[in-house]
Amino acid sequence: MIVKTLLAAIVAGLIAGVFMTAAQEWRITPLILHAEEFEGEAPAATEQPAAEQPATPDHQQHSSLSGAPTFAAMLSALSPITPAYAHEHEGEHEEGGIMFGMSRFSGTLAANLVTGAGFSLLLAGISLVIGYPLTLANGALWGAFGWLAVHLLPAIGLPPELPGFPAAELGDRQAWWGATVLLSAAGLYLLALRREIVAKLAGLALVAAPHLYGAPQPLDISSNVPAVLGAEFAVAALATTLAFWIVLGIVSGFINDRFLTAN
Amino acid sequence: MATSTVSSIPLSLSDRLTAGIIALMIGAFLVFGAGLANSAVLHDTAHDTRHSYGFPCH
Repeated sequence: MIVKTLLAAIVAGLIAGVFMTAAQEWRITPLILHAEEFEGEAPAATEQPAAEQPATPDHQQHSSLSGAPTFAAMLSALSPITPAYAHEHEGEHEEGGIMFGMSRFSGTLAANLVTGAGFSLLLAGISLVIGYPLTLANGALWGAFGWLAVHLLPAIGLPPELPGFPAAELGDRQAWWGATVLLSAAGLYLLALRREIVAKLAGLALVAAPHLYGAPQPLDISSNVPAVLGAEFAVAALATTLAFWIVLGIVSGFINDRFLTAN
Repeated sequence: MATSTVSSIPLSLSDRLTAGIIALMIGAFLVFGAGLANSAVLHDTAHDTRHSYGFPCH
């Protein structure tokens, strides 16, 4: 039964991951590719995605990879899109590259499947631990709360960023992000599922705490990436993740109703 | 033990907690691996996913 419960969550996550990939290809990937053309020292500029953006003024930088035309040609044969190479903060450029020789698209699909299954298991795990079942009737709400905790509330301090955006120290941001997700999830639980007024106040305090503390911000906010792209991207990222979470919640609820409770 | 009570959650309490904690651990591992792990190969494979989920990854 435990295995069945876990499998149900994984299946729901995989379905939502496939959906997310479609949404990303439609709304997100074009913006990322556009932004990579402006990215300061982007090694991704070894291959110009000329088909997408024929006449863009570009600050093309030569990287360690630009001297390997055969490798680039091989990659372009596998994929219509430039693989995203490690960015300037990454130390190990040479060891980068997409796993198993996958194309950029299949890499993204694989990552979405893994992420979808991961979030789905987290949602199912919370539902099981707090003893509040995730059903078809409340699945969309479960999803919406997941989105609030993992995306919208952290985005108040650290908005979704395009390649080439200025950002503070990675470790600081990851710590703040992780703490915000945990505090937001706990706060939302207290706000939504506890009746006591004290619990609701505590929930509000938990949700607000990371924002009162403040997210790590970059010292210098200048960037080559146009602000309009950034604004479009932030909205697109939040919209697609909201759709992902609602699909995830509804599919999880459907599978739970259909295969787990109805025996 | 073997009684099947009519409940909205078909698992016993200990099974429910076990399943929940296992789900949380595997889920956190998967999300960390795809979203936050500091490995160049994982980063490049999951690059567009990381950006679109707003994970702070580089």
